[in-house]
Amino acid sequence: MGMDIGKFLKSPEHEIKITTYRDIFQIEALERDRFGEDYRKLSACIVIGKNDMQKMGIKDRDRVLISNKYGSVVVDVKESKKEEPGGVAFMVNSPWSNALVSDVTGGKGIPEFKEIIAKISLTKEEITSIESLRV
Amino acid sequence: MITCTGCALLCEDIEVIIENNSVKETRNACRRGAARIKGCVNRMVPSIDQKPVDIDISLKKAIQILKNAKAPMLFGFGNSTNEAQKKAIQLAKKINAALDDTSSFCQGHLIEKVLHNKFRTCSLDEIRNKADVLVYWGSDAQDSQPRHLSRFSYFPRGELRQRGYEEDRLAIAIDVRESNTAKICKGHFYRIPLKGDREFILALMDALSGKVPTYDPKKMLELAAILKKAEFGVIFAGIGLTYSIKDDIDILVALSDKLPNFHIMPMVGHYNMRGFNENLFNETGFVNRVKFSEGKTIHDDKYSIVEALKENTVDALLVVGSDPVSSLPRSIISHLASIPVICIDPCVTMTSKIAIVNIPCAVSGIESSGTAIRMDGKVVELKKAMASNYPDDENVLKRLLEVI
Ligand code: SF4
Repeated sequence: MGMDIGKFLKSPEHEIKITTYRDIFQIEALERDRFGEDYRKLSACIVIGKNDMQKMGIKDRDRVLISNKYGSVVVDVKESKKEEPGGVAFMVNSPWSNALVSDVTGGKGIPEFKEIIAKISLTKEEITSIESLRV
Repeated sequence: MITCTGCALLCEDIEVIIENNSVKETRNACRRGAARIKGCVNRMVPSIDQKPVDIDISLKKAIQILKNAKAPMLFGFGNSTNEAQKKAIQLAKKINAALDDTSSFCQGHLIEKVLHNKFRTCSLDEIRNKADVLVYWGSDAQDSQPRHLSRFSYFPRGELRQRGYEEDRLAIAIDVRESNTAKICKGHFYRIPLKGDREFILALMDALSGKVPTYDPKKMLELAAILKKAEFGVIFAGIGLTYSIKDDIDILVALSDKLPNFHIMPMVGHYNMRGFNENLFNETGFVNRVKFSEGKTIHDDKYSIVEALKENTVDALLVVGSDPVSSLPRSIISHLASIPVICIDPCVTMTSKIAIVNIPCAVSGIESSGTAIRMDGKVVELKKAMASNYPDDENVLKRLLEVI
């Protein structure tokens, strides 16, 4: 049997800037069942513009690992349906995005929820479960 | 008719059809509201160490934890009635606790400005009747307060705006992202770079003063001309704007001084977050982040939930109607694993899953009544539509207060 060399090769990492937003369908799923499949599907994803995806060699529905020194999550990629100027990707506000938010607050009590700097790379790992995002 | 507690618009025109003590159907509610009214699938049960117990036993354990704590903190309350919030303030005073709410890392700074009359604001009813220029700034109302545009701001006919959005109203969006609200503001969407709000405000102030702005002069002058012509303008300040200018909120006050026909409305998410701010303000002169100490109130950023957890300065946490494990950065909440957490909520949450004590309560506005404060400051009545096996959070807090 041949050795799967691919699994030893790390996918290239790209710098990514992420901001968070709200989505009514995800909020609806949260109200109903925050531990349910719908909430997970609508939260554990990142929306990226077409041009940025091409630059990074990422396709719609690819699975990616997003990580920085504060944490890491595995989520699915969704191609943005809009014309994006690029440079910023979007995650709906959720425990998945919160896993990547910095603890630097300057003593002012408000974290940088809207500006996450991280690395993104393709992965075959399972989507991060909500259970594993607990303390 | 009941009042929806899905967001701080507190829509009072909701019809519910109830069968066998559960909501079968809702009318008039948006998607978010309907889901809130129909309720969660995971109702909480009373527990200690995640093992089910009688509710009285869980209350006794909560009392013991709060009595033994040297630096307790009470947190949450955005989903509690005014009556429950007032009980929480009394309880915090009684046990010399720190007290904070979700506005601490949300719209607290802006609501504080409103309560101190730092800028003009107005009611949602005035907006419906008079507003002609609407600026959604860092705010995606279509997703967060879904009936805002249809009930109050853009679409309805009003006393002075008989032709509604077709002719009488203009909606503008200023945002990092082309949100669903921005899509409605066709031709008037100003996309700004991440954290570019401050620079945008400065350029807009230049344009309003007749100077040529350094930043995108053509668009800035065009926007300034629209704003100057407004008879009754409103800036809906969303969380995107508040976060972006959090270190210099006064810049928004400076902008509002340049726009005499404009009003500023903080866009609030949780149904009674403004209520908490007003109730605490009336009692102490502060909207959040306080600690009570032998009858005195100390206000300091270190009593914000974020700093308190980061710096490990609390030794017990009572959470009411909130899920900090879900809504705060994971890099900040690790301290929660090392202190006793008491959770009062109708539903199982990420926080209740790590809590030592869970005390279930009725869902306010459906299973219990009370009052709440709408995002514009109007007091709204919440009506009870069906029975619950559990007391409401006001009663749970009342029992804690009586015994401690
Ligand atoms: S807009 Fe807000 S208050 Fe009104 S129905 Fe929707 S969620 Fe409920």
